[in-house]
Amino acid sequence: MASSCTKWILWGLLACPLAAAAVEAGSPAPKITAARLNEPGNLVFAELRGQVVYVDFWASWCVPCVRSMPALRTLYGKYRERGFVVIGVNKDMEASERERFLRRFPVSFPLVLDADDAVAKAFAVKTMPSGYLIDRAGVVRQVHQGFTVETEQALAKQIEVLLQDKP
Amino acid sequence: MSRGCALLLVALALTGCATVEPWQRGYLAKPAMALEPAPGMAKALDKTYAAKEAASGGGAVGGGGCGCN
Repeated sequence: MASSCTKWILWGLLACPLAAAAVEAGSPAPKITAARLNEPGNLVFAELRGQVVYVDFWASWCVPCVRSMPALRTLYGKYRERGFVVIGVNKDMEASERERFLRRFPVSFPLVLDADDAVAKAFAVKTMPSGYLIDRAGVVRQVHQGFTVETEQALAKQIEVLLQDKP
Repeated sequence: MSRGCALLLVALALTGCATVEPWQRGYLAKPAMALEPAPGMAKALDKTYAAKEAASGGGAVGGGGCGCN
């Protein structure tokens, strides 16, 4: 009886939450909803179908984000008319930190909040920043972890290729 | 039974481990998490300590024991 009880307790303790499946190139983009940061209402990711989407996870404490945010702003400005959109998912703990960062590096693309970590968990984010380039059909085509000058150049080429697919 | 207890203890120890998600690392970037939150004050204290104790070099501060440099 005692050993049976111990066995159950052990199984209970060792039942760690399973790691979410990583979102990789070829995976369907998670269908989730997030609260918008710079305007009222929610952003429904599924409604972005038909556009080329770059979902970027960023935070004020993330050093490469100092490079990525202005670069994404430039890419968004360059390609938005052709059907490209950037969604910035903020992962700051304090609103004041996020606001200070945005005053320094203002962006024009839509930003969303992720207070309950649902978006980060759905994408199984492995590092900060992480970016997911999604094609018009809603399939993740590239995953970028970190952000360098090379990332920016590669991303511009990938966006050009994906924008050539007609919706 | 003793084997079961040992396994139970190991399992209890394992549950004490916490995973910091990538997006939670902002907590580690906070000034309070730095090894030395106020480096300027620490250097000043080191300098005073070295001067008062005449322990030149002990606090990694250059100069002698007069506290004037």
